[in-house]
Amino acid sequence: MAASAAPIRLSVPGTLRYRGIAVRLVAEAARLVSGSARHDPKDPFANDVRDPFDMAVVSAFAEIFNNVAIHAYQRKGDGTIEIAITPTERELLIEMTDHGTTFDIDGVAPIPSDLDDASLPEGGMGIHIAKTMLDEMTYQPGPPNQWRLRKVLQTDAVSNGRIDRG
Amino acid sequence: MANPFDVQRSDGGTSLAIRGSLNINTAPALAEEIDKILATKPKQVTVELGELDLIDSSGVAALVKLYKGVRHSGGNVTMNGARDQPLAIFKLLRMDKVFNL
Repeated sequence: MAASAAPIRLSVPGTLRYRGIAVRLVAEAARLVSGSARHDPKDPFANDVRDPFDMAVVSAFAEIFNNVAIHAYQRKGDGTIEIAITPTERELLIEMTDHGTTFDIDGVAPIPSDLDDASLPEGGMGIHIAKTMLDEMTYQPGPPNQWRLRKVLQTDAVSNGRIDRG
Repeated sequence: MANPFDVQRSDGGTSLAIRGSLNINTAPALAEEIDKILATKPKQVTVELGELDLIDSSGVAALVKLYKGVRHSGGNVTMNGARDQPLAIFKLLRMDKVFNL
């Protein structure tokens, strides 16, 4: 696929009601890069993503969408989430903009390295999932707040992610 | 929207089958069901994940709540069949070994 000059754009109300629409669009954009086929081509609304690239992109994006709806818009949805998706031959770039409350990304506790029954986390996992799944994740506090998610096509779906504050 | 889970109870324990997508929109209903399961203080809970296609951190949190609650009351949780994206998430969070996936 040739490099895309113009991003795919979607603007949705900042509530979890629109999460599914956004996730499906991102899944389709990921397939443009990975070249993967739907597991069930007869079901265009199937949830499953099995290609490692698609899996990483969808998992990370879904967590950040959750974060924006819950933390930036505090489940009230009084604003929009603007999503720009740029697929190229080798990578997918997703830029998300919201006009809600700034998120304290530095306040997210790391996941313990040695888990047992007592230390199993019950929260704070979303940012960890997103940044680990991606090659690059940046958050620029606003207003507006801006997330930039980048995933490079490779054979290993779970690369060593890094997070930088823009 | 139908809940993405089924619960069956028998003398041998409780079986919870989860399918489709377990995410921030569907996990609250599961969390309510988990509260009901925990109230019975089951000795054995089996979670079937073979038909689970997608999970997010909210879904993981619900399963952690189940696991911790059952273990706290002296029971055991067995999770079976995790594959693809859900298995990748459990591995990423290093929970695959705790859950014996």
